[in-house]
Amino acid sequence: MPKQKLNPLPSAAFQILLALAGEDLHGYGIMRQVAEQTNDRMRLGPGTLYSSIQTLLDAKLIEEIEPREDAKLGHERRRYYRLTSAGRKLARCEAERLADLVRLARAKKILRGEYV
Amino acid sequence: MSEKLYAWLLRLYPSRFREAYGDEALQLFRDRARDERANIPRLRLWVDLLCDLAWSLPREYFHVQPELASYALRLHSEDGPSLVVLADESLGPGALLFGAVLALAVVAAFSALLNHGVKHVPLSALIRPARSAANVLSSRFTPPAPELTRDSQAGAIAPGTGQPPELTASSSQAENLAAGNAESDGHIPSEELRPFEKPSTQPRGAVLVYAKAKLAAAERHLVIVEAAANLKQHYVDANVAQKMADALVQHEKNGDDDVTDGRAFADLLTKQMREVSHDRHLEVVYSETPLPDPPVVTPEFYARYRKAMEQTNCTFEPVKILPHNIGYLKFNSFPDPSVCRQVAEDAMEALNHADAVIFDLRDNRGGNPGMVRLIAAYLFDRPQYMYNPREETKQDSWTRSPVPGNRLANEPVYVLTSGNTFSAAEHFSYDLKMLKRATLVGERTAGATDVGIFHRLDDHFGIAIRETGAINPYSEPDWDGIGVRPNVKVKAADALETAVKLAENRLQKK
Repeated sequence: MPKQKLNPLPSAAFQILLALAGEDLHGYGIMRQVAEQTNDRMRLGPGTLYSSIQTLLDAKLIEEIEPREDAKLGHERRRYYRLTSAGRKLARCEAERLADLVRLARAKKILRGEYV
Repeated sequence: MSEKLYAWLLRLYPSRFREAYGDEALQLFRDRARDERANIPRLRLWVDLLCDLAWSLPREYFHVQPELASYALRLHSEDGPSLVVLADESLGPGALLFGAVLALAVVAAFSALLNHGVKHVPLSALIRPARSAANVLSSRFTPPAPELTRDSQAGAIAPGTGQPPELTASSSQAENLAAGNAESDGHIPSEELRPFEKPSTQPRGAVLVYAKAKLAAAERHLVIVEAAANLKQHYVDANVAQKMADALVQHEKNGDDDVTDGRAFADLLTKQMREVSHDRHLEVVYSETPLPDPPVVTPEFYARYRKAMEQTNCTFEPVKILPHNIGYLKFNSFPDPSVCRQVAEDAMEALNHADAVIFDLRDNRGGNPGMVRLIAAYLFDRPQYMYNPREETKQDSWTRSPVPGNRLANEPVYVLTSGNTFSAAEHFSYDLKMLKRATLVGERTAGATDVGIFHRLDDHFGIAIRETGAINPYSEPDWDGIGVRPNVKVKAADALETAVKLAENRLQKK
């Protein structure tokens, strides 16, 4: 993975990759998962969500899988998305890059304590 | 209802997006609307949606996410050549909206720039490029220029292109003036000032040849040193003067001054000084012909002036009373009151019973601010401040109104102006206009305030420095370099006729 090309990854895209790291999700599921993993700081609106999904699909970082119903949300068939291995690799690169940043911030005494 | 509204908002997105994700977006909206029913979450939902719209719409139209896009392209190209169509989109409402906003912004920025430009571009440079700026600028310092000689021979000093009345403005204190000149010039040792030229020993032709030669770094350096010294000595605000002097020196060090054309160099220095001070009365001027030596105002010169004034009735033409009892006075300078007070008072006395007054300044070349106040005094019934950018505010800056026996204080006044209305005549016009005491009819005036007092830097360069701190009480900038705009703009030749009509109409309404 050419790290420098995707450096830095747009934050919404990274959050989506992280959301899909656990399980396959549909759009609303991704939105809720992202809200949950950011303590409600990031609530992806439809425009941002689907344009990011489209970009990630184009880059083959995620893929669309067979549509199915979500039992909790009624009988509508929904499009589900899954992380590809390239996506997982990219997410790991991005996480490492951020971890480097955190280490740097610690070294510079900007960040201290047990946050990470 | 709210779903319909959101469906409508979705139409702002490009059709590519709507086709691929329109249903999903609506579905997501329904999901959230179902889950977030209470008032606050519902409000938050709409805030989110609007933020999302503002954030993602431009991205959808402009494909912002270049990193990922380029990555995608690279992936494709690994499989062989591929064609990527970036714009297969007809204009949507979002694009039209964006275009409209952009056009408005450009128009607004353009007009803002125009206004900005009018205020700060050194217009004096544009307006009087042909004349030797030094001659116009040199005020107290004006030498007995060729025009003056010619005019004196013709028997009239005032209508010259130089400003002889101005020169003798304070020449009731002729010795003071001479002393002032000696002082303003005397602070610079003459050897240091003019190492390149020996005008007294060299034939004039040699100096001219030098003038046309390219400007050498050595002379540039000298001009900068002199300009900095003059600023520090004469500028009204010592702090700003120091900053400007530093800036000039710094620019030279940085190699910013590397021009060989004298005028371009003068303009460059002007720009550098104004960048720091924003004072449009500061100017470095260049004269291709050598600047004349400072004049010495001798008692003989003063006697000649007095004689010329006597011969020309102080440049005042006889007062006329036009039909409808409109008084008309044309005078072609504002002469020194110490010489011409009686003439001016007689003229005003002759106008005293008019129902309206027209002052014709179309050929007025300026002169003495004391005379400006003397005549203006008749137009007010209480002392009135006459702002003059050349003078410190002092007790004398107020008119000595009311004038005993005067009846003109409340009569309508018209001032005729032209492009030949200069200096003190502009002072008179500007203040009466700003005080709403007179209607100016004619053309924009010449714009020769000469606020800056002229100092010689070397044979070809001079600097005009404002030395007074008088604050303009009006919102409009004074006339230096830009002139006074008339209230009624007509050709100078038609100004009298127009003013008479205006006056007649006004008098009929009374």
